Order: sequence, then C-alpha cells, then structure tokens
Amino acid sequence: MEFLLELLTEELPASHIRSALEQLEAGFGKELLEARIEVRSLKTFATPRRLVVAADLAEGQEDREELVTGPPLAIAKGPDGALTPAGKGFARSQGIEESLLEAVRTSKGEYLGFRRKARGTPTADVLASAVPRVLGSLSFPKMMRWGVSPFRFSRPIHGLLCVFGGSPVATSFEGLKASDGTVGHRIASPGRITAGDLAAYRAALEKGFVILDPADRKKMILAQMEAALAPLKAQAYPDAELLDDLTLNVEHPLVIFGEFPEAYLSLPIEVLSTAMREGQKLFSVVRDTKQLPCFLGVADASGDAKGLIRRGNERVLRARLEDARFFWSQDRKVPLCERTAGLKNVLFQEKLGTYEDKARRLEKIVAYLCDKLGAAEVKADAVDAAALCKADLLTEMVKEFSGLQGRMGGLYAREEGLPAAVHQAIYEHYQPGSLEDASPSSVAGAVLSIADKMDSIVGAIGVGLQVSGSSDPFGLRRNAHGVCKVVLDRKLRFSFPLLLDRVLAIYGDRLTLGRAEVKAACLDFFAGRLRFILEKRGYRYDLVGAALGPGVDQIVDVLARVEALDTLKSSPQFEPFILMAKRIHNILKGLPAAKVNPDLFVEKEERDLHSTLSIIGSNAHPMIARGDFARAQGIIFKLQPVLNTFFDKVLVMAEDKRTRQNRLGLLQSIAKMLLGMADYSQVVVEGERTAKPKASR
Amino acid sequence: MSVQDLILGLHRFWAGQGCYLAPTYDLEVGAGTMTPDTFFRVLDKRDWRVGYVQPSRRPDDGRYGENPNRVQKHFQYQVIIKPSPAEIQDIYIQSLRSLGIVLEDHDLRFDEDNWESPTIGAWGVGWQVLLDGLEITQFTYFQQCGGIDLAPVPVEITYGLERLEMFLEQKDDIYDLDWSADVSYRDLRLREEKEFSEYNFAAASVTMLRQAFNACQKEAGRLAAKGLLLPAYDMCLKCSHNFNLLDSRGAISVTERVKMISQIRALVNDIARQYTGGKDGA
Repeated sequence: MEFLLELLTEELPASHIRSALEQLEAGFGKELLEARIEVRSLKTFATPRRLVVAADLAEGQEDREELVTGPPLAIAKGPDGALTPAGKGFARSQGIEESLLEAVRTSKGEYLGFRRKARGTPTADVLASAVPRVLGSLSFPKMMRWGVSPFRFSRPIHGLLCVFGGSPVATSFEGLKASDGTVGHRIASPGRITAGDLAAYRAALEKGFVILDPADRKKMILAQMEAALAPLKAQAYPDAELLDDLTLNVEHPLVIFGEFPEAYLSLPIEVLSTAMREGQKLFSVVRDTKQLPCFLGVADASGDAKGLIRRGNERVLRARLEDARFFWSQDRKVPLCERTAGLKNVLFQEKLGTYEDKARRLEKIVAYLCDKLGAAEVKADAVDAAALCKADLLTEMVKEFSGLQGRMGGLYAREEGLPAAVHQAIYEHYQPGSLEDASPSSVAGAVLSIADKMDSIVGAIGVGLQVSGSSDPFGLRRNAHGVCKVVLDRKLRFSFPLLLDRVLAIYGDRLTLGRAEVKAACLDFFAGRLRFILEKRGYRYDLVGAALGPGVDQIVDVLARVEALDTLKSSPQFEPFILMAKRIHNILKGLPAAKVNPDLFVEKEERDLHSTLSIIGSNAHPMIARGDFARAQGIIFKLQPVLNTFFDKVLVMAEDKRTRQNRLGLLQSIAKMLLGMADYSQVVVEGERTAKPKASR
Repeated sequence: MSVQDLILGLHRFWAGQGCYLAPTYDLEVGAGTMTPDTFFRVLDKRDWRVGYVQPSRRPDDGRYGENPNRVQKHFQYQVIIKPSPAEIQDIYIQSLRSLGIVLEDHDLRFDEDNWESPTIGAWGVGWQVLLDGLEITQFTYFQQCGGIDLAPVPVEITYGLERLEMFLEQKDDIYDLDWSADVSYRDLRLREEKEFSEYNFAAASVTMLRQAFNACQKEAGRLAAKGLLLPAYDMCLKCSHNFNLLDSRGAISVTERVKMISQIRALVNDIARQYTGGKDGA
C-alpha cells in the first residue's frame, strides 16, 4: 500500500535538502524496521519547498501467535489431570476458555499455557506515531526559530500531506494536521491541490508547475540548455555543482538564454565566468573553449513570453561586468609588489598574525621545500611568488569575487610581465581546492601550494583550532587533502616530519601549544587524512592501516606501501606470510627489547634464519629506502620457508634465559625490518574475516 | 513610478498590514536594523509592527558618483513584524504585486542568505530575494540581537529602494532614477556622493574621528551605567559610524579592527541585557 508524505516549507537551502532526504530515508527505514512493517520500496524527492517520501508498505504488521505461560503444570493440574484452582484462576485472569489451555514445555519445565493470536498493528497507526518522530529528529547545519514557538528547523514549515492507502494518516507535526492537500507553484499556480497517492500527487503538482523529482528537473534543464545552444553550436561550460544546486533551487526550471556586449570579452575568462556564476548562478557559454558573449540561467517560472526575465538578468550581469571591467583596469594600476605593503592590514588569523606575516613564512617554507626537492632552478621564482601570492587580497576584484583569489594575482602578475614561473605559481597556489580538483601544473606552483596549506594547518592546530566532527572552520581537511594530493600527484619525496619541524621553527613562539604536541597532532591528522584518501581510492581498509603502520615519513611511501600490499594480496605467498608476521607480532607483544648475539645461537635453524635475514635485509633495505615496496616485499617473502623451519625446530621460549632472549632478539630484528614495509598485524586474512562477527547493519 | 511613489506605495501597503510608520531616525547608521525602532523593539516580548525609510551609510562604498550601482549612502525600506506571521512570505509577495509588478512574468527567488551584524551582536536566517537575478530585498528571521536570543521571533524585510526602483524604471544608472516627477536622483544625490566620497576616503580627520570614537565609547559606558539605555545606544551608533569612517580612511590596523568591533559589541550587548533584564519574562 502506498505511503506519501510531503512537508511543505519555505525555501530550503540546497545543502539542507540533501541532508534532509538522507535523514528521512534512514529515519523511516529504521522506524518501519523496528515496527516490523514490510517496506517494498522507499523513495525520497524534493523541491526547494517540499521534502517528500513515497513508499510501498505492507498494510500492517503480520498477525502473530504468541505463547502465554501460566503456573507450572504440577501446580495447575491435579494428579487426575483436572485443573486445580490455580489452573482455573489462570484461565479466568486471562479471560479465556479452559478448553484452550495446554501443556507448554519450556527449558525450565512444563507449564500451563495457551496460544494467543495477536493482531498486527495497522501501518497507518505505526505511521501516525513515526511521522512526527522522524520529522522532529531532522537536524540541519544551521537551524532557526520563527513566530512564537521554540521549535527549530531549517526554515519555517507550512503543511503536512500524509496519506496511506489513499486516506490521510491521523497524525500531526508541530501543529500541522496531516491532510491530503498541498499547494502548487508559489507564483505560477498557488492554488490548493489534493492527492491520495504518488501518481496523482505527481500529476497534480505538474499541473501546478511543480516538477517533483530532482532528476526530472535536471533532465529538463539539460534538454532546454541543449535546445538553446544548438543553433549556436555552443556548449554551456560544464559545472556539475552549479547544476545540482540549481536543480534544488527551482520547482519549475526554465532555462534563460541571454547575451552581454562583446566588449566584455576582453576580460579574462576567469573573471567572466566568476561574475556569472558567483553573483547570479549563470552558466558561461563556450564554443571550442572560446567564451561567447552569452550565458544561460535557470529561472523558476512557467515561461518568459515577454522576455522580461532574460532582459532583467542581462541588465544585472551587465552591471556586474561593468564593475569587473572597472576593477580590472583599476587594479592593474598598482603592481603587486607595491600592494604587499598593505598586507599588514589584513588579518590571516588573530593569533597567527597578518597576511604580511604569512607571506614572510611562505617565502621560508618555499625555499626549504625547493632545497629538499632539489628544485634549485625554480627556487628564486617560487620565493618571489610566495612574497606576492597574497597581494591580490587587496585588489578590488578579489574583494568583490573572493573565489578568484590566487588566480587573480596570477593574472595581474602576468599582465605586469613577471616571469612565467612566478605568475603561474601565484595563479595555482590555491589548487587543488578539493580531491577532485587538479593539482598545480608547475613545480613552483606545487611547492607554493604545499607551503601555503602547511602554514595554515600547522598554525591552526598550533593555536588550538582543532577539527572535530562536522566542524572545520579553518578548512584544515581540505588543506590537508590538497597537500597530500599535490605530493602524490607529483610523487614528491621529502621527509614530512622534517617539514613540520621547519614550519614549526618558522612560526617560532607565535603558537600557543608546544612544538612536540603540535607536531604529533599534525602527524595524527595527516595519517587520518591519508587513510581517508586511500580508502576513497578503493584500497582495503586493513591494507591502508598496515601501510600507515610505519608512520608518515614520506607521504608518497604510504601510497607505495598500500599499492604493494594491494598487488601482492592475491599472491599465494601473501596469506601464509601475513600469518607468520602476526605470529611474530603476537610473540613479541609487550616484551622489552632484546639483543642478538650470534655466538649464543644453539640450533642450526636459528643460525640459518639469522644469516638469511641479514642477506634479505641488505637487499631489501635500499629498496625500502627509495620506496620500491613491491620488489622489497618479493624478497622479504623468501624469509618465510626459513622462518617456518625455525618455528618447527626451535623453541623460542627456551628454558635458558640467555638463549630465550637471544631468540626473541632475532625475532625483534625481523619485526623491525617488516615494520619498515608495513604493519602486517593490521592485515585481515581470510580465516579472520569469516570468524569476525558480522558488522551491524 | 518614481522613488517617491515607491516609498508611498510601501508605506500604504505596510500601514495596511498594521505597521506604524516610523519617521527616519536622525543618526548615521549602516543599516535600518540599527535604529532603535528595530534594535530595542525586537528585544522585548511586545508585539511590534513598523515600517520606515532609513538612509544606510557605508562610507567604503563611495565611488565619487562615478559608479552606476554603488553609492556611499543608499535608502532602505525597513519592515519589522514581531512575531513573524505564518503567511509573511505571501504578504511580502503581495507587497510586490501592490507596486504593480506582475510576478507571473518574472522569476522571483528566495535564495539562501543568512545575515549577521557583529557590531550589534545580531544574526538571523533567511534569504536574499532575487527578481530576475536582481537582489531587491533581504528577508530575515531575526534570531539574536544584542547577544540575546529573540522570542518571539521578529521577521525583518529590508527593501533596497534604489535596486527596486531601477527594476521598476528599467534603468541601468542609479543617477537616472526619478525621485519625483521632476527631480532626479542625480539632482538630489550626485554632489553629495562626490563630496562624501572625498570626505570618506581622503578629507575626514583621522585624529578627530579617533577622538570622537573614544569620547562616544566612554559616554556610552557612562550612560549605560546610569541606566540611560537609549542615549547610551545612540552613542554606540556614533561609535559605529566613526569606526566605518576610520576604516574607509584606511586608518584601522587589523588588531585594532577586532578590538574596536568587540568594544562596540560589548557596550551594545550590555545595553540589550539591561533593557531586557527589567522586563517580565524577557
């Protein structure tokens, strides 16, 4: 039977809608499961004003037979089998015929009892109590109150359509009584509509200029865009995020095509597209990567017969572009190197100082990284870029369009005629903005990008701005992802802990927390971020854990380690080897360090193991040092037969203390070498996986 | 329709909604929100409905009269209704229709935008209202003011009069707007924009502004201590405007900025606390 729910609201932010739909699906899923209502299907939909759940549910709980037990049989029945007063009393108290009583065998013995048919609760009743609970539990990143009620939600709520099997459910939520009615589009068709099921609801909404399913709206937008651009043989510049947001911003999408004077095409394409996107949520239009003097917008309207929406948007865009053109010509009158003086008036962070302070730090970090990476040829340019990279914060263009920071500086630097390495590094230094974004394409850009982000991360953690749960006010996760992505994309080899030391030293006594504490917190934070990145790339969680086991010295090594483990995991040697490594790990757990003295070996097998180990170690070590873990692993596998024989023939926990210590010392040196590869004790092998209890649903 | 007609139209509409039409407040403020008709009236429990025109001074936005969209003083039409009525969005839409806008021919959007004024410890949740891509109104459910949680919750509707008028007259240059049948925005405002831009960016005496800021701050504290909350609040408004002028003169360092804003906020929050403290249940 069909369940349909619509919460009618004032316009919700797109991010709130996405989160609400997830919460609704999970919330109803859980309520219905707990209430033992069969869910045949459950879907969610949304418009900016509606959160909608549609489900196919069983009519009610299954009827159940339950066993009711009374007194023990020995008390309830006499030797003749007739009911005693106790037995009769039980039947009376339960209000049943004595003839229905029967003997019931339980683990504690025989009892008098009977079977009762329990009628399942109808789904409508379950929904009546579940609906206000689920809706009441919705939470949003920012919540508000309105009117006189203390109730908090994303935006004020206005109506509750809630029907099951065609009839309204007897329920209410925050003073809204459930009905089978709602309203159409706010402007195009504000009248009331009623609906008893999803099909009728969808049809009535459509008549009322509301397209219920975001997927349908997206299709409409794309089709209308294509139709608008086909005659021009042009395309909208792809912007998936903008498209998704617009899909959730409108109830009835109407693509608007507009134009602007060609003169504005003299502006950099970055400026044009930002002015369109950030201010007005417009798509730019390109033909063969060339910007055309037109745009596409998405209105929430039934039509634009008079062209007023188009003309209005054109006028607003023209004003913006005129501003941008003014900024572009004004800003270029002052060279970046002159602007930097003003950075002392721009706060980076209260405790971490101004952007002038930051620029000074970046110069030093960049110089350090160039030295460590052997990038002497770009060092001078990279340091120059570091000094200038924040100057664009003082330009009118960036004050107006903050999303252009960095890129604008790069464009102005190019206009000034600064060397390509300098303007490119400035242009790219905020990249990548996310894991999906591209890394800087130049060496200097990559170095400056890492420096900028490390300065922010170390500084923020150093003054106690920790990341917790959903709160990350300083964007530390994004910054750390950026650092890792650049390092991994470009395979940059440098010691990460030493970089932390350097950044901490450059901060000097500005940080409020101790250096050791900050360093440990940063290492921890990056280990967590690397775990996230590698698991996102599809590596098994236990292999990622093993790869992180040796710690984050070289960021690239963490990836190389997990790649090696991932390649080798299907080799026949892998599992026995892991079991062996775990055996060593378990034997050594909690034991103090011991020394190996070859003179104290008693058995041939331990001598063999020792000599094999030193050969394997001397071969594998250089490979480990340069990050060639797959080959090193191939060599280390050869330990296994020797170790096998050792465990077969030699008793590690020998009676004699010196012999025992010596053998433990031998195992410890193996463990130490293995830990240079990975923490194998974290790898889960087949046997363990099946033995492990199933994770909860 | 002229600016004057627009103001009359909004006055008529909101008076019809039971609003008291307040005269413009006679101090420089950055936004209509800052006048006592909003600041104090949202704090208490009493129902409140008010509409008024308020010049909004943003010294930093001065463009010497050369920018067709930006001015260092513009006009807001401010509406406060407390508690926020359930149908307030519909009422607002009616106000646009009452100005002769046929919304069926346009794209009206409520676009997420949360408002905040750190100087007076205020924030709210709501939207910027866009008409064919043009921001014409800030629509906010006020959550906190003077650092105090507001209950009942007031709704604040702030129309940008020049923006709306540019839409109504279909003009691209603010100075081309008609204020009345024979007086243009240029006639009234151009010289003022030129001279005040020069004042805001170059001519204002930093020394005098600093002295004024300090004197008003001191006076605000002294008056608040005596329980003279409205005069104390006026002093805070003066502090705020002097701060904005110092800022546009480029005379405020980073650390100073944080400090000065928090100084004003502390005074304002103290005034709000005292104002609500004496009232039943507030």
